[in-house]
Amino acid sequence: MTTAPQPRACPRLVLGIDLGTTNSLAAVRAGKDARVLRDRDGEPLVPSVVCFHPDGRTVVGRAAKALRLDFPERTVFSVKRLIGRAAAEVQQEASRLPYRVAAGERGMPRVQIGDQQWTPEAISALILQQVKATAEQALGQPVREAVVTVPAWFDDAQRQATKDAAQLAGLECLRILNEPTAAALAYGIDGSKDGTALVYDLGGGTFDVSILRIDDGVFRVLSTAGDTQLGGDDFDELLCQRILAQLPPTSDPYVLQAVRAAAEGLKIRLSDAERAELELDLGNRGAVKLAVTRAEFEAAIAPLVQRTLDCVMRAVKDTGLQLHELDDVVLVGGSTRVPLVRARLQALTGKAPHTGVDPDLAVALGAAIQADVLAGNDRSLLLLDVIPLSLGLETLGGAVRKLILRNSTIPTSVTEEFSTGVDNQTAVDLTIYQGERELAQDCRLLGRFQLRGLPALPAGLPRIAVTFLVDADGVLRVTAREQRTGAQASIQIAPTFGLTRDEVRTMMLDSIEHAQQDYLAREAIDTRNKAEAMVRGTQKALQIAELPPDQTYAVQKATKALQKLLAGNADAAALKAGCDELTKLTATIADDVISSAVTKALKADEIR
Amino acid sequence: MTHVPAPDPFTVFGVPRTLDLDARELERRYLRLSRECHPDHLRAQDAADCLAVLQRAAEVNDAWKTLRDPWTRAKALLEAESPGLLDANKKLDPAFLADALELAEEVAFVRPDHVTALRARLQQTLDADFAALRADVGRGDLPAAARRVHGAHYHKKALADLEHKA
Repeated sequence: MTTAPQPRACPRLVLGIDLGTTNSLAAVRAGKDARVLRDRDGEPLVPSVVCFHPDGRTVVGRAAKALRLDFPERTVFSVKRLIGRAAAEVQQEASRLPYRVAAGERGMPRVQIGDQQWTPEAISALILQQVKATAEQALGQPVREAVVTVPAWFDDAQRQATKDAAQLAGLECLRILNEPTAAALAYGIDGSKDGTALVYDLGGGTFDVSILRIDDGVFRVLSTAGDTQLGGDDFDELLCQRILAQLPPTSDPYVLQAVRAAAEGLKIRLSDAERAELELDLGNRGAVKLAVTRAEFEAAIAPLVQRTLDCVMRAVKDTGLQLHELDDVVLVGGSTRVPLVRARLQALTGKAPHTGVDPDLAVALGAAIQADVLAGNDRSLLLLDVIPLSLGLETLGGAVRKLILRNSTIPTSVTEEFSTGVDNQTAVDLTIYQGERELAQDCRLLGRFQLRGLPALPAGLPRIAVTFLVDADGVLRVTAREQRTGAQASIQIAPTFGLTRDEVRTMMLDSIEHAQQDYLAREAIDTRNKAEAMVRGTQKALQIAELPPDQTYAVQKATKALQKLLAGNADAAALKAGCDELTKLTATIADDVISSAVTKALKADEIR
Repeated sequence: MTHVPAPDPFTVFGVPRTLDLDARELERRYLRLSRECHPDHLRAQDAADCLAVLQRAAEVNDAWKTLRDPWTRAKALLEAESPGLLDANKKLDPAFLADALELAEEVAFVRPDHVTALRARLQQTLDADFAALRADVGRGDLPAAARRVHGAHYHKKALADLEHKA
């Protein structure tokens, strides 16, 4: 008697899905190997396009893409650029799209098809459903769970919206995974090769770079950096400008669309050829004939490529490693096919880029591996990811005290002690910010809450322990507790809630451009706070210390001088000099009552 | 959620409270603990107490961050051996502070062609600081060790400022 051997307890099947701006696909892992799931024609990519046909049908994927020219105003693509963002933020983006984007409830963007409105989540869900159906047909069984990838710089609203889309599509999203991290998993699949890898992910619209350390199956993200508004589309844009320069000024959407398509074609041809020609006949709207050499194209895009290399350097610096310590350079995203990108990256790192896995498939394959781990099928692999932007608390004077620094491995938790700034203060406001800048006004506000019931004590005496705890999904919980009374308050917030991609990018760029300016502003606030605390501490100490009259007089005089500087809004240098003067006096006094009282006053940072 | 003070990083890692820990061994231990504690590996088993799992995983990550750097490790060691010791020994020798101030000024006005030499000197100073710290701890003179840690902070800051400038 022969029966087919029954598989032991059927392993839980979780899909890895790359939900892309242009194309989407699913992969699955059974045993050691991950494979992409293909439709009946052997095609793995589902174009991220949805057409709402006038006859009432909803068409998704390749068939929808084919209808794009027939029903431009009813065919939705690039919805990933809209998801999780506010209508006001995507206005400019939407003006370039052939379909209409309206502002819906709570200022969320809605895709307007005839008299119907669709949320970006619902349209993404239609794409995910198509991916799911393709996967189920390839597998011959239903699937209910998935890991879905997003750009590393997607903020919490965008991540949450992507999760919602999965749910709408009938998939439970076990994890939102960063695309470069997923790609690294795909390249390191054999797990046998330990080392440090740099993943350079240049897509159509965004750029991500991540550096990972692989040790015996543990994938540790050491740092991540990126630019959410830099991609292959920007290369196209430069070529568009050249073409448009030969046409009369126009805002005709048909012309713009045709020029954009022509520019993309030119770019692709320039990846293989040294010179490409274009003949574009727009009928009565004009005609263009031009030739572009690769050298000209490369000169035009060089500044953009340099921006990606700056991100690479920042990511490397954050790891504390040197460039020569990188073992592998991995390319992901279609725009890495541009020869200049490869050449410049190779020149910078001294490593020939890894090309073992198709850059279009790597992200889905990696997602399938993480899906398998979360399903509990593989305990040999572990992924340790990081938080992309710092988290902090506003302190007196509008400065941000960072509690959790960017690129900290999650989960993570930090507790720090703060105090009050005013005598008999019985409540403090805790205001939580995310970003790299030094001042609260330049960071993104995440949330605010109040700790009440503090004991009425002189300023600086209450001891308030503030704990930040970030979980494996990057969600932040904050707890504050007064140590004497046990008064306690807490809040759970998403770390980057509502932060737009623009803001993330601007915040990152700003923090570099304004580093010096920020430093000075921060220093001025710190010096002022220190001087105020010093005056207060010294005055209190003088009341209790028994000093010889001449010393008392000298200290009083220096304190008054410092007070005068404070009242007169003196600059940081003058305040510093005043503080130093006072420190010198108090430090030399034999009885160290004063210096200990001053130290005490300075010990705790003050919360507003 | 109540705030429970985190156990000291040496306890989290199950290593002896000493200044000198083998870097490779420490890293291996971190990877092993991560495998044991990470929520990703426990989620399939429907870990009953999610917050406890989370806190344990956070403790492991945070202990690793503290122990991997010799200076933060030294601080944790002193704090674990004698809570409050670091705070109680903040007062530094005025002569030392004067030297530190001079060093900071040197960094602020360094000529570009002197950066390399100054960096090497600062690095040597920090190495010497750590050797002295090791001696303090070896003698059991923890207050001296605490002051040494505070003092080295100025040298580290000078080095960081120099890197920032370069």
